[in-house]
Amino acid sequence: MTELAAAESTEVPLAGLQRARQTVNSIIVGKAEVVDLAFTALLAGGHLLIEDLPGVGKTTLAQAMALAAGGSWQRIQFTNDMLPADIVGVSIFRRENEQFEFRPGPIFANLVLADEINRATPRTQSALLEAMAEGQVTVDGRTYPLPQPFFVIATQNPLDMVGTYPLPDSQLDRFLLRTSIGYPGPAEERRLLVEPDRRDLLAGLEAVLDPPRIMALRQQAAELHVSEPVLDYIQALVAASRSHAAVHSGLSTRAALALVQCARAHAFVNGQDYCPPESVKTIFPALAAHRLQPVPESGLSDSEVVREILSDVPVP
Amino acid sequence: MSWTLAALFVAVLPHLLFMPAPVSITILALLGWRALAAWKAWRPLPGWLRLVLTLGLFALVLVAYGGMWGRRTATALLCVMLAAKLTEMYRIRDLRLVASVCFFLIATQFLFSERMIYLFYLAAGCLVATMALYQIQQIPPERVERIDRPVAPDPRLTARAAGSMLALALPVALIMFVLFPRLSEPLWGLPEQAMDGRTGLGDFMSPGSIANLFIDDTPAFRATFEDGLPDRQYLYWRGPVLWNFDGNTWRPGYHSDRPAEQPVPITDNSIRYRIQLEPHERRWLLGLDHPVRSSLPESSVTSDHVLVSRHPVTGLVQYDVISTPDFFDTPVLTSFQRRLALSLPEGRNPRTLALGAELRERYGDDRELIASVLRWFSEEAFYYNLSTAPLGRHGADEFLFDLRTGYCEYYASAFAVLMRAAGIPTRVVTGYQGGFWHESGGYLLVRQGDAHAWNEVWLEGLGWTRVDPTSAVSPLRIEQGARSVVSGGRFLLDWPWVRDMLNRYDRLQHIWNNWVLGFNADRQRNFLKRLGLPDLNTLSIAMLMLAGLALVIAPIFLVLLKVRETRPTSAAQRAWMNLLRRLRRRGLRKLPQETPDEFARRIAAEQQTASAAPALLELAQLYSRVHYGPPRQEMSEEFIDRARRFSWR
Repeated sequence: MTELAAAESTEVPLAGLQRARQTVNSIIVGKAEVVDLAFTALLAGGHLLIEDLPGVGKTTLAQAMALAAGGSWQRIQFTNDMLPADIVGVSIFRRENEQFEFRPGPIFANLVLADEINRATPRTQSALLEAMAEGQVTVDGRTYPLPQPFFVIATQNPLDMVGTYPLPDSQLDRFLLRTSIGYPGPAEERRLLVEPDRRDLLAGLEAVLDPPRIMALRQQAAELHVSEPVLDYIQALVAASRSHAAVHSGLSTRAALALVQCARAHAFVNGQDYCPPESVKTIFPALAAHRLQPVPESGLSDSEVVREILSDVPVP
Repeated sequence: MSWTLAALFVAVLPHLLFMPAPVSITILALLGWRALAAWKAWRPLPGWLRLVLTLGLFALVLVAYGGMWGRRTATALLCVMLAAKLTEMYRIRDLRLVASVCFFLIATQFLFSERMIYLFYLAAGCLVATMALYQIQQIPPERVERIDRPVAPDPRLTARAAGSMLALALPVALIMFVLFPRLSEPLWGLPEQAMDGRTGLGDFMSPGSIANLFIDDTPAFRATFEDGLPDRQYLYWRGPVLWNFDGNTWRPGYHSDRPAEQPVPITDNSIRYRIQLEPHERRWLLGLDHPVRSSLPESSVTSDHVLVSRHPVTGLVQYDVISTPDFFDTPVLTSFQRRLALSLPEGRNPRTLALGAELRERYGDDRELIASVLRWFSEEAFYYNLSTAPLGRHGADEFLFDLRTGYCEYYASAFAVLMRAAGIPTRVVTGYQGGFWHESGGYLLVRQGDAHAWNEVWLEGLGWTRVDPTSAVSPLRIEQGARSVVSGGRFLLDWPWVRDMLNRYDRLQHIWNNWVLGFNADRQRNFLKRLGLPDLNTLSIAMLMLAGLALVIAPIFLVLLKVRETRPTSAAQRAWMNLLRRLRRRGLRKLPQETPDEFARRIAAEQQTASAAPALLELAQLYSRVHYGPPRQEMSEEFIDRARRFSWR
């Protein structure tokens, strides 16, 4: 690799990352933290779960991410009559050459928007979750790798209980981060009312990044400096989650590793060359809340537990 | 590496001085070789050579010590083997082993001497060994294979760390010392060779034997008196009493070991005092004339009124004594005693014999005869000094008529011969006379150099009566001690201020003997009794010690935990914590869960009028970069500088 190419490979993706952020923020107005989380999940190599009411922009966020990130993208609208094959694809018999041929399902894309994932049956859900975990799909004994990067944004509606199959807690930690969007602020909402339809705006978006650049960015994010005090802090947070009285079982070591990775990616997304404790603090609720199950008697929600942990652990 | 070698050197040094030369040279050579090998980065010796070396060194020690197995041999073997270990010291494990054994090695010195000076030496040795261990701990794992190159050692920092570690161990040591169950008998007969190279007062007297002690400044014993220091003329510390003379050497009588026939009574004039006797490996205990009894078990008073112990004194002993100076010793002399006290070797000292006979004719009264001889000593040109001229066959003749100069043993011997020649029963008493009165310490220090010899004559109606011919020649000797009489320095460093310093040092030694070495099973029991814990058996004392240890260690442990939590790991962090402390005094308190940045933002939001708020935010962000970012020296220095200059307005 020439020096010029080397310089290009580091400089351009970084600038592209900031531009992609701006692009998404121009679509999802006033939700910079959520956009940061989405990019964090993308660069940390994990998947994002958005839990919120309909109509707050979940799908729009996913579409904007997909468009800005470039590469292929697919949207899967989950329903309760869906089968795993509808997601991963099927082998069909070709009469012309008398062979089975694999027809890849919609999951074969760089970015997959899994809309209302809790509407599908557990069997179908697990087909998606397995693909997310393995980065590959196995059909009729043959394994097909998924494209890189492979990034799933799933949405689910927490209130709509009729005819849904909520994701079991054990499956939830397939998602690196879980977040919600929430209503926009009054000023932003007023702007939305004036501005053209988001769908039209999305149609006019241009891809800023592409899969190779995203892979390069992931690589850089993974190499970000994390100092001893920050690692101490992360370990203290994980330890506090384990000793918290309202929690069945605390965060796993995998979650701790994920926290390091996410804190790096978050700092990287914010253009920093080291990982400050603020990144850990910002990431922690999105990373930990869905992994912790408060005992019902405690009367605490998972996000309240997370808040308590954050306020109990001193920053070294 | 270098510290480990230094620790080993410090640990073996006191042993080296007492080793046969080949052994100590071998140890030094191994030490030097290892230092050189580290410096020049030589390759380790092959395994077979190390084996041969080890076996050879083992044989060397056995041969050098003549196959005798004792404490000296064992420690020498330990020293040599530790030095041999250096040839294979190429891993952290080995370094740690050597440094750890150094602690043991340096403590073995107490097997040989319990002098206080070794306590300081022990402390210094422990410090160096701890520093070595600390340095070993600092070797990062990736450098395990390269232990030879020191890892940026900062001796001051290391010394401070090691010193504080030892300081933490001090309370533990104290508890162990006070409460460790004492055995009434030591486990080993301590210390085996207390008199290493020194002679002390012997159980015989020949020309020069006492003069040789004169330069020996080591303490013989110390005495504290219940009613203050008695008059100088009473300060005759009675040692072996000598009856038999072969023409050159005086030796004890055959009956000297027998217990006293008549007990010495206690009168109003009796002197009560306490003696702290340094080990001298002989049986006699010293006391003033005439000892009644001592508090030491297994001690008795012989028929010569010498206080003796049943066993040689090999360790420091303390005992209380009562002495009655005005005791009528032996009113009736048995014919055996008279014969013994008058016998002279045949065919010797004809001139003295003649003088004795002449005196006998001239003076009918024994007392007058003695007085005339003493007068003769003081009026004629007799000199008192350290000359130790060898005497020939007719020693008393040569001394009395030709030489006329000598130390106290010459006078005591010649005087006894002359008295016996005149028919007066006479014996020689050796011991110590006088001593240095330690005003501030309130005790009398008697050194080996205070050794003395005098006579006792038996007089009708008075019994054995002390006559000190030396006092006739040189009264100052008795009044002020031998050092004031013999002019000039006795050795190179014999200046007054050195003597003064030694006297001061002896005060410490006295305290050390009293409170540390003398803290035996009895003292421990008394101490516990004062704490309200009488009659504890060994097991209970051991339990008490464990409980005490737990009590001492627990707070140290907690404090350490606390300190570890808050101790800054970098200069920048120290500056930041300093800044926070200053802000706290202004009522601006950083919450523990806040990051520096969050803290500064909150302060800025709360104190909108404060002009320093933006600067604080900037400072907090700079600190965040320094503390959480990749290490950058110049940025850290900039932060420290700015944090120092920052003031809240």
